[in-house]
Amino acid sequence: MATMTGSSAAAGAKSFDIVATYNELLRSDPDLTMPIAAIEALVLLLTKEPSSTISETLDLLEKSTAHLKKAIPNPIGLSAGTDLFQRYLITTLQRPGQLGPAGDFKAIRTHLLSNGRLFIRRAKESREKIATFGRGFIRDGCTVLTNGGSRAVASLLQKAADDEGGPSAVRFRVIYVLSSFKNADEPSGEPEGMETVRALRAKGVPVSTIPESAVAYALGKTDMVIVGAEGVVENGGIVSRMGTYQIGLLAKAIGKPFYVVAESHKFVRLYPLGQYDLPINQHVIDFKSDDDITEQKEESATPNTNGNQQIELPLCDSVDFTPPYLISALITDSGVLTPSAVSEELIKIWF
Amino acid sequence: MTDPVASAPTQSPAAAAPAPAPSQPAMQPSSQQNLPIRDSKPAKVPAQKDKQQKGKDAAPAAAAVGADAPTDGGTKALTPAELKKKAKEEKAARRAKEKLEREQGGAGAAGGSAPGGGQGRPPATPKKDAAGGGASQKGQKAPPPRRGSGPGTVTQTPAVEQKKKKDDKKVAVFGHLYGQQRRTTIAGAGKEVHPAVLALGLQLRDYVVCGSSARCVATLLAFKRVIESYDTPPNNSLSRHLTTVLSHQITYLSTCRPLSISQGNAIRQLKLTISSIDPSTPEASAKATLCEFIDGYIREKITLADQVIARSAAQKIQDGDVIVTFAGSSIVKQTLLQAHSEGKRFRVSIIDSRPLFEGKNLARALANAGLDVQYSLMHGVSHAMKDATKVFLGAHAMMSNGRLYSRVGTALVAMSAKERAGGVEVPVIVCCETVKFTDRVALDSIVVNEIADADELISNQLPQQVTGLADPAAFTAAPVDPKKGGKPAPKEPTPAPSASSRAPSTSPLTEWKDTSNLQLLNIMYDVTPAEYVDMVVTEMGSLPPSAVPIVHRMSTNM
Repeated sequence: MATMTGSSAAAGAKSFDIVATYNELLRSDPDLTMPIAAIEALVLLLTKEPSSTISETLDLLEKSTAHLKKAIPNPIGLSAGTDLFQRYLITTLQRPGQLGPAGDFKAIRTHLLSNGRLFIRRAKESREKIATFGRGFIRDGCTVLTNGGSRAVASLLQKAADDEGGPSAVRFRVIYVLSSFKNADEPSGEPEGMETVRALRAKGVPVSTIPESAVAYALGKTDMVIVGAEGVVENGGIVSRMGTYQIGLLAKAIGKPFYVVAESHKFVRLYPLGQYDLPINQHVIDFKSDDDITEQKEESATPNTNGNQQIELPLCDSVDFTPPYLISALITDSGVLTPSAVSEELIKIWF
Repeated sequence: MTDPVASAPTQSPAAAAPAPAPSQPAMQPSSQQNLPIRDSKPAKVPAQKDKQQKGKDAAPAAAAVGADAPTDGGTKALTPAELKKKAKEEKAARRAKEKLEREQGGAGAAGGSAPGGGQGRPPATPKKDAAGGGASQKGQKAPPPRRGSGPGTVTQTPAVEQKKKKDDKKVAVFGHLYGQQRRTTIAGAGKEVHPAVLALGLQLRDYVVCGSSARCVATLLAFKRVIESYDTPPNNSLSRHLTTVLSHQITYLSTCRPLSISQGNAIRQLKLTISSIDPSTPEASAKATLCEFIDGYIREKITLADQVIARSAAQKIQDGDVIVTFAGSSIVKQTLLQAHSEGKRFRVSIIDSRPLFEGKNLARALANAGLDVQYSLMHGVSHAMKDATKVFLGAHAMMSNGRLYSRVGTALVAMSAKERAGGVEVPVIVCCETVKFTDRVALDSIVVNEIADADELISNQLPQQVTGLADPAAFTAAPVDPKKGGKPAPKEPTPAPSASSRAPSTSPLTEWKDTSNLQLLNIMYDVTPAEYVDMVVTEMGSLPPSAVPIVHRMSTNM
């Protein structure tokens, strides 16, 4: 069975490489989030691959999803999209009427694809919606601390900056925590978030950039913390860029509100119990002695060809888990939610 | 989940008989001794009581007002505060009387009457003393408060007071939980009660069928037998009449042991199904539908749910984990066995407590399956928690405010897991079927709880002594020891029949009912705050405790 699925996945990959499509989509559109890229890749897959029955479609979907998840080092954000799409397909197919199981499959297929595109468009619009919800949180004279390269946070801050025509409608300041890791995607090697910093400065917002080590020092001058998230998990916690957890802990200790900005398609059916319970293979803590280092040098000379293992997440993309008790509220496109309301939203989607 | 009908009817009468035997004689005389105290009250009050017993309600409030009116009329104009006080006094007196009446009415609860009467009174008396003026007359006549009596209440002899203390065997804070005494025999049960239900009642009482889901399943199976043997009497419709038949069974079961949340939920669903049956349906097919419903309910809500929960909870167990669990939850057992069968390597540390020792069965089952098991009692919890990595708990119920209502001691285990002083925070995972969810809310474990027979606390064997003290009981037991293979000090006392017969004489608390100033409290459950629970694993997925009401609403609406 295992070999069969493996070979069929390989065969599917030959005619339509879902992983390559996914990566290409992410690269081509900087505004695209991981779950949406995954959904878009799946929709493309369904248009390209001929399938004539419902079960064939679902089977194809399941296999490609598994293949995609295996090929990407951090499948958390992605799985939110694929799970949502699969769930959406199943509920659509179960609905009685022309588009139900009794109907003409071709009609169902075209309907699915057009709706899938509608789904993507709506998801892209959600950032706009979040900005309208979250604008009220940023008031005159306040200082916002943020980190990472979240596009949702960037759009929220920019919206607040050019609110009601022209700059300085709302006078606020931003403290931007810049990661010490070099961004691999950027050829200039500048850290993630510099683009947002430039955009905000262009709009007349005073921005200060600080290293991660200065967060505790800077929090005293801050009124609130706003961060983005890669995935929002079932208990209302978030999986986010490494360093978010410590900002959350510090904000809690100093007593500053900690807000998370996330689109509702980032809600994942995942329930991590702690930092080390995430389905990611990342070696942040790596104990080494001198012997290990020399050994590793020798090993790197001979390429490792163990394809079965999950791909390791590079250090600059590592994530951590911020538990729900550190989060004051989640600003999403379905409203401003408390962490405990996330599970309610998730249950609504899934049942 | 033992089959209730098959396993225990032989066991239960034997176990039921000895327990009530010592308790009844001890309580009977005490209630008689208490009577004089009651008579020492003003003459008006017993008269009222008689009236009340005959004519039920209506009378007492009016009578009390009528009796007080003349005396107060003399002092004339009462301030609003005084009026308020008076109303309070009347209310307290009325409550006490109602309680008395209720308990006297209860079958075989003769012993319960006296303390009940004594309990309602003391709150009223100090107020009377404080009221002064016209109320002081009453204050003199009233008996002194039970405890912490002031200098003004020397009217009664100390001997009488002592007797009264002796009678008060109900722990004050939990006074409201001692309703009727638990049924001890099937004598006095109505003829409508089905034999299967009669047997189940005794099994519930004796903890032969114990645990929330087991009780739920056993009840449903017994009700299935009731439905199978049910014939609709002429001029009745099944959907109307069967519910009344079932309510007789339910009343009987609740006198054996208060119903669990899961039992209540299952019964509610069953009654709903019965009442939704079309009256024109032929009886045979209606009964078949109901039996099918019961089977389906057990399969979906418990059997399959348990499998789903065990599978998803087992995913949370990783190699090298040390799992701490408390008492014996069937679903936790299933989870651990599932994880073991998946080839995970982990240790289990079971924490158990008196008097039910539910963890012993769990320890044996897990050890037989090849798991690494450590067994310790509650007092070893901080030690067991030191190397724990996860805590798995079973549930009696999940409250709507996310709190966990479970076997007493659970809260302590959860709390010690969350104790940050140790440097680690251990995740606490609760495994619970949605059938155990309730829309009720619990803020503490006092308002809603269950009180078990306090005698359970004393009738436990002592470890066998090798070097005897000058204790006659120890000497009689001495010949037993060599037969046991000369074990110096067994860690767990084996339940030998000789030991259990000897135990009552050796336990210093045997005579607790005749010992003054001594109260025994044997509560069954406690409430764990939601902050101490990280995750609730249900058949509908893993949830934070705050999602309990949402899931409950969804699972009941479907």
